[in-house]
Amino acid sequence: MIATRPYRFRLEPYIEFAKKAIARESTYRFEVFTSIGSFVVRVYLLRMVWTALYARNAAPEGLPLHAIITYSTVALLMGLVLDIDQTRLLHDHLHDGTIATDFMKPINVPLYFFSDGTGEVLFHAALIFPAILLSLFLVHIDVPSAFVLVMFLISFILGYFVGFFINFILNCIAFWTLEISAAQLILTWVTDLFGGELFPLVFFPLAVQNIIFALPFAAMFSTPLLIYVGQIRPERYAEVIGVQVAWVVVLAGASWVMWRFGARRVVVQGG
Amino acid sequence: MSSTTRRMIGVYRQYWRINVLTTLEYRENFLMWFGFTFVYHGSAIAALWVVLSRFPSMNGWDFRDMAFLYALWMMGHALHNTFFAAIGDVPEHIQDGEFDRILVRPLNELFQTITMPGQIFPDELILAASFFVFATWYSGVHVGLLFIVMVPLIVIGGALIDLAISLVIATTAFWFIRVDALRWIVLQLEQEFTRYPISIYSRGVKLMLAFVFPFAFMNYFPAAFFLHKTDTGLALPAAVGLLTPLIGVVVATLAYIFWRFGLNRYQGVGH
Repeated sequence: MIATRPYRFRLEPYIEFAKKAIARESTYRFEVFTSIGSFVVRVYLLRMVWTALYARNAAPEGLPLHAIITYSTVALLMGLVLDIDQTRLLHDHLHDGTIATDFMKPINVPLYFFSDGTGEVLFHAALIFPAILLSLFLVHIDVPSAFVLVMFLISFILGYFVGFFINFILNCIAFWTLEISAAQLILTWVTDLFGGELFPLVFFPLAVQNIIFALPFAAMFSTPLLIYVGQIRPERYAEVIGVQVAWVVVLAGASWVMWRFGARRVVVQGG
Repeated sequence: MSSTTRRMIGVYRQYWRINVLTTLEYRENFLMWFGFTFVYHGSAIAALWVVLSRFPSMNGWDFRDMAFLYALWMMGHALHNTFFAAIGDVPEHIQDGEFDRILVRPLNELFQTITMPGQIFPDELILAASFFVFATWYSGVHVGLLFIVMVPLIVIGGALIDLAISLVIATTAFWFIRVDALRWIVLQLEQEFTRYPISIYSRGVKLMLAFVFPFAFMNYFPAAFFLHKTDTGLALPAAVGLLTPLIGVVVATLAYIFWRFGLNRYQGVGH
């Protein structure tokens, strides 16, 4: 359908934004090599670490060695996608001032950043396939039933949105501070630890677990991963996925508020 | 004292004066980066603590031992970051032509590189020293005359090993200009593989960590010596742990020779 009015919503521009982001990302060959290279190195490392730990200690309940290696490998594969800051463009545009011209364009600006980020993520998602092939040389990955796999994918996508909105909120802070690199790196380490990317959150002491499972980071990595390795049984799917949906809604709301107030600041400064 | 030496001391004093003044000027930024350093090391130590509270032993090393292992690496690494971090910027200087200016000034090129003013403050070193004191007490390692004499030398040796590695990487930039991928992978190798006793790795990786990128001398060999661990992972005598200062001097010298070699062949990138 062809739009007749100038400001009517059309999807095509956003698809083009995403395509452009894919093309841009594919020019950074070095980054592709580093992410694949570092992935392989980390798969090797985690295999050695878990093997050494399981060799001399009793295995935790429900998590034999092959399950924990599967967990960590799938976590690293998810990290190829989830560890990207999909809204970096927002921060860049705030930094160099081009945000002002973004507002003049007949587009929905947040959606523009979303489609750009989606393009970036889709490009990196394609790296998952060579990464899986390479990791199969190093480790054995358990594959659950088709039903569990589908639930994992749903939960993974929800986790992606949780991560997207957390990044979006953080990048919105640049409306006020302009510089957020350190905060972003801090967030990366916090997500690694409290999101369950490094090891299952059930390894934390019980008292700490209660706090950590109440944070949004657990909805990024931990929920899909625990579904994948079977630590979360099917009878709890509705509950854990409900929590993920709730986080997406809350964080989307917070993003909207941050965006409204932030965008107003640009106008006040006169762009 | 020769006039060159006197001039270098003068430059070096100015360099630290500018660093401190810059830090004082951009106080928020400094605090943010300090927060990053704190969270970076804090999350690594926390991850070790959580995992080792579930699995009390890793090839005979418990959390107390691993805290000492980490603290020893942290000291050498922080010492390097405080005094030689600017070497990491060489590829960037080559790309933007800044390095050509260094070449025409009448002072040692490496010295000039190291004294490029930035926003350097010994915060990481202070953090490392505090954690080292804690880990020494916590691990119950025997603090005798040998410990007091050797540990500072080992830390300096560790910093020299770090220096050698970053100097070699910086030198490769004379030929390949963009070495981000290489730099990044080696850095990751160091940060993630030095956390664990090298005895958990396969023989090839052990040999690499001992003799190619000798990170094992930064912390594993000395820690194994002081903690009286019998297995050094490569069936070497325990006393190799005291060789770190020597290894540091040797590899730093070799790296400097390589640097001079690269410097003499450097053609510029055409600015």
